[in-house]
Amino acid sequence: MKWWRSRVPPLGFAGLAGAQRRRRGVEGILLAAAMAFPLLSGDTFLIDRVGRYFLFAAFAISVDLIWGYGGLFTFGHAAFFGGGGYIVGVLTTNEAAFLPIPLWAALIAAVVGAALFALALSYFVFSGRGALRGVEFAVVTLAVAVVAERFTNAGGSLTGGQNGILLSASLGIPGVISLQQGSGFYALAGVVLLATYLGVQRFLSSRSGLILRGIRENEDRVDLLGYDVPAIKRRAFVLSAAIAALAGGIFYVHEGIVSPGAVGVSASTLVLLWVVLGGRGTLLGPVVGAILLPYLTATLSGSLLDIWLVVVGVILVAVILVLPSGIFGFLNRDRAT
Amino acid sequence: MSVLTIEGLTKSFRGFTAVRDVSLELKGGELRGLIGANGAGKSTLLHLIYGRLQADHGSIRFGDTDVTQLRARDRARLGMGLVFQVTSIFLDLTIEENLLLGAVPKVAGTPSVDPGEVERVLELIELREIRGRRARHLSHGEQRWLEIGMVLLTKPKLLLLDEPTSGMTRAESRRTAGLLRELQAARAAEAMIVVEHNIEFIRLVSDRVTVMHRGEVLADGTIDEVQANPDVEASYLGRRH
Repeated sequence: MKWWRSRVPPLGFAGLAGAQRRRRGVEGILLAAAMAFPLLSGDTFLIDRVGRYFLFAAFAISVDLIWGYGGLFTFGHAAFFGGGGYIVGVLTTNEAAFLPIPLWAALIAAVVGAALFALALSYFVFSGRGALRGVEFAVVTLAVAVVAERFTNAGGSLTGGQNGILLSASLGIPGVISLQQGSGFYALAGVVLLATYLGVQRFLSSRSGLILRGIRENEDRVDLLGYDVPAIKRRAFVLSAAIAALAGGIFYVHEGIVSPGAVGVSASTLVLLWVVLGGRGTLLGPVVGAILLPYLTATLSGSLLDIWLVVVGVILVAVILVLPSGIFGFLNRDRAT
Repeated sequence: MSVLTIEGLTKSFRGFTAVRDVSLELKGGELRGLIGANGAGKSTLLHLIYGRLQADHGSIRFGDTDVTQLRARDRARLGMGLVFQVTSIFLDLTIEENLLLGAVPKVAGTPSVDPGEVERVLELIELREIRGRRARHLSHGEQRWLEIGMVLLTKPKLLLLDEPTSGMTRAESRRTAGLLRELQAARAAEAMIVVEHNIEFIRLVSDRVTVMHRGEVLADGTIDEVQANPDVEASYLGRRH
């Protein structure tokens, strides 16, 4: 292990090493408790629903990786989440040439496809004299989401047009175990979330993670220290896209349908709300936001039929005004020690 | 052998010549003061050396390498380190993380700095006890020293400091002078250039100074020699009184 790894707090905490360890411990316990709670309740509908939220949480972490830790504000990350669903849908439902392929191969193709697209895009946006930052990068990602939505709408039999693709593949190993619904799906989604959480945590405590956080703070200084800034951004962006595509691929197989809205601007905006609500630049924050907000939405939409959207909006605005760094950002707030 | 050799360096901005035909040589172990009034071209020259600006004419050799056409990042990798006039650190990272950003390899897979170096630098800049504190909570002087520490951990052969005492209290300036003397004594870098308009500070840290005036080298020598130079007296020192 590189010697600096033990010195880099992966969650961006301030404070002494002891405090960091305690906070990390609290995070781990909270995460484990949140993951175990639905199972203890025995409510299969709730278990299934929370499984979906876990995949949202993995998606939110992928956004937080580049936005919260890298300062790269993205308005189009649903293109990767929904794109994962579309790639899986196209590869598992079409009957042309070598298609359909098994679900596991389609999921791998979704991850690789999203990573390659992110890699190609990153060469245009991060490299050279015209490298984009801040709002410029956000506008490009916005354009990606708009184009993705238009493309899927106009894709004819390939993407199913505005009706989307009905996915018939089922998660699990045929004849052995089904992970398509209930606790099986919950376990699969939990493993994806946990692997995402730990993988991103590891990335953030690596050399690349430290430099990425440096880029968020002061990109020019990082460049003038001699680091290859475009390469680090590219690495984070590709990792982020791959995570989003994996979570999205599994999510839309579970849903059974993927439609143009999945890759568009509103889906891309929703994930930003989860990250903001939970706390940008923390790892547990996006998890909290991606579970809490959809849960609130689902619960209130059942009880307040006409005004639930207004109530959710008011709660969101109130939380952001009172806790501008998000729920977990507030708990983890900066103190001069 | 020379650490830095500059010949005929010129830089203009829309017809205004900020640096005109400047030549300069820096030997190993040297700490050169670069002084002059505001607008004399000191900082522009420093940024030309570091590669943040590209020269219109002239050449810059760093050791054996002609770096005239290289980008700042590549010059940094060759061993140049710059401390900015306006503090440039990572405010939301801790002191230790700031230093690590100086210490970890610039290219993955290449050898990194000895971990003991970070401890030594923490000791040197007197921030060891609060290493876990975020940089934004430090005083201005402490932030300046942190930046010096971070750049030191890049193991620079040539350390460039652009007005290191800018905005500092008198006590902080004295501490900075002591720090630079310690660095020179320890040969923390093969050579250093300190840009300052405060000649009393330069007297504390440097034996040899180059005086710039309107983009050109006006005089070069020991502090006493340049202070006795009538041209320097007329164009720079005289105006300060």
